[in-house]
Amino acid sequence: MNALACARVRVLLEPYVDGDLAHNDPETARAVGDHLVTCADCRRQHQQAVSLPFRMKALRSPAPRATLVAGVMGSIAPQPQAARAAWGLLVPEALLGAFILWYVSGLDGLTALASGAWSNLQGLAFWGSGTAPLPNVPVADVLLLGAFITLTAIAAYHLSLLAKLDQSAIPRFTEHRGA
Amino acid sequence: MTGTPDARALAAGQLAQQATGGDLDAFEELVRRMQRRVYGFAYQHLRDLDEAHDLTQEIFVKLYRNLARYDTDRPFEPWFWKLAANSTINYRRKRVPMPTDQSADQATTGSESGFPAHDPALIDALAQLDPAYRLPILLHYYADLPLDQVAQSLSLSVPAIKSRLHRARALLRNSLAESEEAGQ
Repeated sequence: MNALACARVRVLLEPYVDGDLAHNDPETARAVGDHLVTCADCRRQHQQAVSLPFRMKALRSPAPRATLVAGVMGSIAPQPQAARAAWGLLVPEALLGAFILWYVSGLDGLTALASGAWSNLQGLAFWGSGTAPLPNVPVADVLLLGAFITLTAIAAYHLSLLAKLDQSAIPRFTEHRGA
Repeated sequence: MTGTPDARALAAGQLAQQATGGDLDAFEELVRRMQRRVYGFAYQHLRDLDEAHDLTQEIFVKLYRNLARYDTDRPFEPWFWKLAANSTINYRRKRVPMPTDQSADQATTGSESGFPAHDPALIDALAQLDPAYRLPILLHYYADLPLDQVAQSLSLSVPAIKSRLHRARALLRNSLAESEEAGQ
């Protein structure tokens, strides 16, 4: 059998150490063994190859922080405060919605609102172009506009809160944790 | 809060099965049981105490969020470590390299991590290793997963993972030999 060169032996050291080489190619495994008897450099590499798995298993790591488990459980537990805040926003939304509905009060009210808004806008446009005095916008219209803007802002904030709650919710989970 | 005595007596797979049904005590016990191995794995991969803590938390939170996808008829550990390996790969991608980082892909070496290394030559050699080689090495020798589970965790065949482990060990061996020569 041909003697193996050092470079070839070093490529085969890991399968040789694991026994894969002896299983798949016993002749080459014997040649590697013979080479190791005569070559001190490769013998040192072989010793490294043999000890490496044990050194890996012996690696030490620091202990995890005592807060790790609590941190994980805190991250996954439903957030009651956030949930309360999210549902609590329904109250002002309902009040503002009721006010707007009361004001427009059906189709007639809606038509009156649209025509009123249109005439207000026209009046403002004429005032802006200098052809008419500042229109007299009814206070209720200003209140309605304020209520509408407030309702839009609260609804957007509410949606963002609900989106956050939705990310942490797991549909299959039903809370039945002991106190 | 510690898990109930019943939960402590269960295997990780059974705890995962209970947690899938919504039992938070079982999930907490599962985290408690696996935290040391997961944190050690994260630490050996990142060599940074704070980042290892963050990554470990991220892995467990992802575990919770993905429990609904766990097929309780299959073994838990390969499924879990696949999730852990993916989280680790994504965590490294998300990392913004600091100005002091030589490479975003090279972990911090032993003495820089704030934890005394008892085998600094091996730690340094591991830090030089490409993550594609470091991950299977850590899963097999550190997290103690058998070859078939490492293969499943990294979505590779057993021969492919064996070949990668051999290559990784050869690289480590060469690094160790070089550092020994330099030390002489």
